[in-house]
Amino acid sequence: MRKQFRDTVMDLAERDNKIIMVLGDISVYFFNEFKKKYPDRFYNMGICENTLVSVAAGLSSQGLYPFVHTIAPFVTERSLEQIKLDMCYNNFGGNIVTCGASFDYAWDGATHHCYTDLAILRLLPGMEVIQPGSRKEMDILMRSCYNNGKTTYFRLSDYPHDIDMPVEFGKGVVFKDCGASVTVMTAGPIFGNVLAACKDLNVNLAYFHTIKPIDKELISKFRETRILVVHDAFGLYEAICEIPNLSVSYHGMPDEFCDFYGTVHDIRRKLGLDEVSIRDVVKKLI
Amino acid sequence: MTPICKNLRKDILNFSHISGHGHIPSSFSVVEIIYAVYESIQHRPKEPKWDKRDIFILSKGHAALTHYCVLAEAGYFDASCISSFGAFLSNFGCHACRCKVPGVEVSTGSLGHGIGISVGIALAAKIQKSDRRVFVLIGDGEANEGVVWESIMVAINIKLDNLVVIYDNNTSQLRGLQILNPEEKFMSFGCSVANVNGHDVDALKSELAKKSDKLKVIIANTKKGYGCKTFVENHHEWHRRSPNKAELAHLLGELDAEAI
Repeated sequence: MRKQFRDTVMDLAERDNKIIMVLGDISVYFFNEFKKKYPDRFYNMGICENTLVSVAAGLSSQGLYPFVHTIAPFVTERSLEQIKLDMCYNNFGGNIVTCGASFDYAWDGATHHCYTDLAILRLLPGMEVIQPGSRKEMDILMRSCYNNGKTTYFRLSDYPHDIDMPVEFGKGVVFKDCGASVTVMTAGPIFGNVLAACKDLNVNLAYFHTIKPIDKELISKFRETRILVVHDAFGLYEAICEIPNLSVSYHGMPDEFCDFYGTVHDIRRKLGLDEVSIRDVVKKLI
Repeated sequence: MTPICKNLRKDILNFSHISGHGHIPSSFSVVEIIYAVYESIQHRPKEPKWDKRDIFILSKGHAALTHYCVLAEAGYFDASCISSFGAFLSNFGCHACRCKVPGVEVSTGSLGHGIGISVGIALAAKIQKSDRRVFVLIGDGEANEGVVWESIMVAINIKLDNLVVIYDNNTSQLRGLQILNPEEKFMSFGCSVANVNGHDVDALKSELAKKSDKLKVIIANTKKGYGCKTFVENHHEWHRRSPNKAELAHLLGELDAEAI
């Protein structure tokens, strides 16, 4: 998905000279061509997330479209106040694009895991929060939002799904509506596991790439069903719960640090987010 | 003290008395600095969004009352607007909101934010090949925040010679984390550093007019509460207080006496 990010930005930058890359010493190699082609629009500022965000706000205040890019936990958790005040409160919009979603860096341990970003950023007034699950989603959503004046968070993953579906900012997708009494709702790359687990079960299936604004209309269609949110992060469940009088439960993150290593697949298995475990959880609800 | 700066201090005292709000000692230490900035920069009070204007950011946002009084003096709005300082539905909060007050470029309050934004604005001017300059006023207490030094490192690294950091050295952090030898510290980061009397308008204007080939830091040596003996000697007690009627009369008398 990071390659898609590069390709999309390269394409946009050709027509839009207001795009400025602000990197936190990550993905620098990916953007070599950008740097070569647009040296005055590329800044690897160093490992200083707070300043990256403040600088982006300053660039935005002068009519430019900054793309801050670094590792997810460091810029969303460490620099939350900069995102809140410098970008959102000041109305200096821009783009924050991260890598290292959820357990993409599983082997690096809990310091590099990121599962709170969607939940905390969706609390900021005016913020847009996007979790693309596929390369296509990333491309379409970035093109539609990067210059809209808002502060937009794009949470990229190195483990995208490749399930094709219509993509429109702020719109969820009903993948299956079979009139069942249970609806499974999910977001982002974990959709691959969820779809595999549920494809032959008698459940409805809804998918989201935009966490904020959440598609309330779509959720309301399933208000008479029991909703199970399956997600390898916080944020989607809380967004769905804002709609009153739903029957919603959550399967995903435990209230403890994942203090073990391995691959993303190891951790998903440990948390019950592999295909077999998800299937078991859903079947118990049917 | 110049008559204008004395009158600005009187305005600050009066608005603080009327509203019941104010960081008066902090506001008094920067009167000459902010006044000198607006005397020096390219700006149009009747056209606050003029696209060739220089930019001033008050990073130590709790001195907003001084900023308002200087903006009013410069002609951005009528000073009577400030009498609603801090009140419900007022545009003039104890920390300024850029969307509500003409001339305020950035909403500040939480310390350590304005300087990073100023780096972005100065970089934007470079990218846009503009001659506009950016001035940011930080406090020495604010420099306790690590992000201040992060911003300085970035500004030096990307060679922002169009950014001037004014450091209000009012030694307010004597009881906490005092930054010792700030000149030495800024120089070690690669800045061009000047030391001035922060209550001397002409000295400030002269330093603000000088261009530098790298990030410039003006260390403005000030007294917290300068102008009133009561504040200078008791600035911790007065940090957030506003004067009652009797105290106001006494403080105005101290100002006129120019005892400090």
